[in-house]
Amino acid sequence: MPEDLRTIRKQKKMSVNQLASRTGISIATLVQYEKGELEIPPADLHRLAKALYVGDWDINPRSSPPPRQEQPAKPPRPKKPPSERKPPSKPLPARDSQIAHLLTLAARFDIDQAALEAEIGKPLDELTQKEARHWNGHFMRRNAEEKPPKKSIDRKRAYLPEGVDGFELAYLQEQQEFSVPLYFTLFDGQTFEGTVVGFSPYQITIRESGGDEVTLNKLAIAYYCKGGGEA
Amino acid sequence: MSLGDELRYLRAFHGGGNLMEIEDEIGLKPGTLRYMEQRYRRVGEDDEVLAKIATYYNVPLEKLQWHRKWYRKALSAYLQQAVESGTTAHFELRTDETLTGRVRWWDLGAFGLEPGGGEPFTVVQRHAVLNWEGATEGDNS
Repeated sequence: MPEDLRTIRKQKKMSVNQLASRTGISIATLVQYEKGELEIPPADLHRLAKALYVGDWDINPRSSPPPRQEQPAKPPRPKKPPSERKPPSKPLPARDSQIAHLLTLAARFDIDQAALEAEIGKPLDELTQKEARHWNGHFMRRNAEEKPPKKSIDRKRAYLPEGVDGFELAYLQEQQEFSVPLYFTLFDGQTFEGTVVGFSPYQITIRESGGDEVTLNKLAIAYYCKGGGEA
Repeated sequence: MSLGDELRYLRAFHGGGNLMEIEDEIGLKPGTLRYMEQRYRRVGEDDEVLAKIATYYNVPLEKLQWHRKWYRKALSAYLQQAVESGTTAHFELRTDETLTGRVRWWDLGAFGLEPGGGEPFTVVQRHAVLNWEGATEGDNS
């Protein structure tokens, strides 16, 4: 009398995983065979029989569905004692970031803080988070609809490679701090000697011994060394 | 000296003009010259572009084509190797001078050279370097 796959597997004390690795049939498919969701095709039946050391005819090709296990009834939840209703919490004041965002948005329409407060009807520092959210949304929508012209941004000029970079910056700062006289040689053969009084990415300003200040374009400098000597 | 450094040098010798103005005057697309000056690898392969620049700076086209073969990174590699090994490095400058010493540091704009023999520590601008020991054409390591 053929028996269900699951029954035989249990008798042989084999897990689904082990049976899957022995037969090369996936676990998901084996589970479906065992639940009777799929009929076992002859090829798989043979492989299963071989792995379980039984004859092909010992395995029922269509397993009967496993009996449903009844879940033990859950104990009823203990009822919470009726608690007192909390008083409504006080609305939170608007965050600084919300106010800043609101001012930025309003500025796109040339609305300053005073005008904005007049429109809202209260000072900004009295706004609640909810109100700030509402007004930010209002200006965001208005911004999307009207698209005010963007103001030109004062961009910083990009650093050029001849600019003062990391190591040179540190070196110049040190020389400036200790007022070390430096001797500059330019491409055109001119030389200058003085202490560094300041520098920007593209210029170095020195004070010569006579008190004159000279600004040298970094691009024009070939090299410089500590004063009194030549490289 | 890389093409970028050469172009910067030429610009300095022509009054250090604004890149955008020069590009406009030569008739180059905005950013072309800036890229050529700043990039570390080969930029400006177009002879037509080089010819326009050569005319503007009044230099032979062949000169710029020669510089095109050099890379800014090649000098960086040489400087880095000199820093790590601590060996003496040699630099031929635009000013017809040769500087020799140990490289203590280098960055995008300059490098610090310790000449030894009691000579003072020198900060050399990278765009002043015309050639360096070990430089070989097309070296882009």
